Amino acid sequence: MRNRKRTGWHRIINGVNISAFFVVLFVGLPLYWLIASSFKTPQALGDSPPQYFPNPVTTANYHDAFVTYDFGVYFRNSLIVTLVATALVLIVGTMAGYALGRLPMRGKFTLMVTLLIISVFPAIAVVAPLYLLLRNLGWLNSYQGLILVYTAFNLPFAIWILRNYMLGIPKEMEETGRIDGAGPLRTIWTIILPMALPGVFTAGIFCFTACWTEFLFALTFNSENSYRTIPVGIAEFGTVFLVPYGTIFAASVVAVVPIGILVFIFRKFVISGLTSGAVKG
Amino acid sequence: MTTISSAAEQAPVSAPLVGRPDVNRKRMARLGWTFTAPSLIIIGAVTIFPIIYSVVLSLSNATVSGNGVALNGFTTSNYSEVLHSSKWHYALGFTIIYTLITVLVELALGTMIALVLERMVAGRGFMMALLLIPWSMITVINAELWGYIYQGTYGVADAILNAVGLGSPNILGTPTPAIIGLMIADIWKTTPFVAIIVLAGLVMLPGDVYEAAEVDGSSGWSTFWRITVPLLRPTLALAVMFRVLQAFGLFDLPYVLTNGGPGTSTTSLAILGYNVIFKNLSFGPGAAVATTTALLVLLGCLLSLRTFRVQVGKEGN
Repeated sequence: MRNRKRTGWHRIINGVNISAFFVVLFVGLPLYWLIASSFKTPQALGDSPPQYFPNPVTTANYHDAFVTYDFGVYFRNSLIVTLVATALVLIVGTMAGYALGRLPMRGKFTLMVTLLIISVFPAIAVVAPLYLLLRNLGWLNSYQGLILVYTAFNLPFAIWILRNYMLGIPKEMEETGRIDGAGPLRTIWTIILPMALPGVFTAGIFCFTACWTEFLFALTFNSENSYRTIPVGIAEFGTVFLVPYGTIFAASVVAVVPIGILVFIFRKFVISGLTSGAVKG
Repeated sequence: MTTISSAAEQAPVSAPLVGRPDVNRKRMARLGWTFTAPSLIIIGAVTIFPIIYSVVLSLSNATVSGNGVALNGFTTSNYSEVLHSSKWHYALGFTIIYTLITVLVELALGTMIALVLERMVAGRGFMMALLLIPWSMITVINAELWGYIYQGTYGVADAILNAVGLGSPNILGTPTPAIIGLMIADIWKTTPFVAIIVLAGLVMLPGDVYEAAEVDGSSGWSTFWRITVPLLRPTLALAVMFRVLQAFGLFDLPYVLTNGGPGTSTTSLAILGYNVIFKNLSFGPGAAVATTTALLVLLGCLLSLRTFRVQVGKEGN
């Protein structure tokens, strides 16, 4: 932190803390509302003016989400697609990130800029041709279709993050390996990869989050109930006549928890990914 | 490049990979392309190929049948249909205004939050963790949550507006309040992301500049505008660029929260494209909407190529 002299620091510190309090309210109140509403009874959810604290507290919504509705199926689908796609992205992306960060290749700059542009390309631009492609392959309502698309769309950004980390590894490290007589693959495995591990974590978290939250592709490609992922499942809980908010919020809390824990544990990597010039929302 | 030549200079000749520099270089380049190939094949098949196919679709008299889509020859009618459609005009205007307002507000609020966090003595880690929750949240959940908040009869927003004496507007049933409601939901989710980026930029600013400013008797406000903002510009530019490009693809939030309505008042370019393709099954015009959106994003990319260049330029290659 910058070291600045402040006069009357007591007052300033208080001002900072009061502002911080408002930031907590701004971020926290809607989150509180989500959690509190998931513990309300259906009648209480329709109260006007609303109940600010759930009374009585019920866990019936959680039961409903898994038993009356198929949230368990959606959760499993999301987990399968997200984990496999993230693993593929990390394996393939680490190789590319290493090559682009450390090996002499022509046209690297053009390639990196192309990847960056692809990583911000709107999904709507490709959803129709991809739909037709997956239909011809018979991969609509399947795991492999969504996994392929997620892998491809998250690779460019992952390569960017990994390449940035690879650039930062001192070249002397690699030379040590060579002098010891290790081939390039062994050098990568035993020397580069352990050093690039923070980059792998960062890319992994970003890929996981992106797959876990993706909506448009999942909505168009996996519309069948047994293949829906969490975002599609939650969006389709409601009907025109009835929106089961209790179930929706219970499912939402369950969906937010794993990613919340992941992001909390790995927050150092998330922040470094967000700020190492590799910025994506 | 530098890795190899310097390795050749410094390492003893006996090391297996450090033979003649040019041979070595060629071998390393081949290894590089071998390593990059799997990524390029996957990305090419799933992004580049569909983009090209989308352009082809948009220039064809495409018809849909049970067997798939038939192209039926070249035409530009899809584009003239789209460019002359009032729905497209509205969607374009809405997307641009929505992007401008949300990104500006997110930038202002995010910078304020970052300034607060920078001055915090304790609890910064907690704040960062809290800020990351909206960022990592599924947008559909965000939409459902705000849909409940805005609900016309029992939503908490209605109760609050009533309590302050603003009556009870049917937020999601009236165009302007629906647009504002949509923006608030977006701002809530994305401001924390901007705040984290700006904070990282702030922390890296050199401290001595501020000491000099203080010696010169510069006030806090003018220090902020004359020193902090200019120094922070690369960080801000990058954040703005990504936010703008991302906001242009706006889909999840209005799809769930307002379904593009009331009427077509929150129909973004992506929602319009989706409806034309998958609801009307008009693949040709739909592809034209998608392609024009993509072209606008591409244009944005080219305009901000300098910002990109700063990012890639680190290696000087």
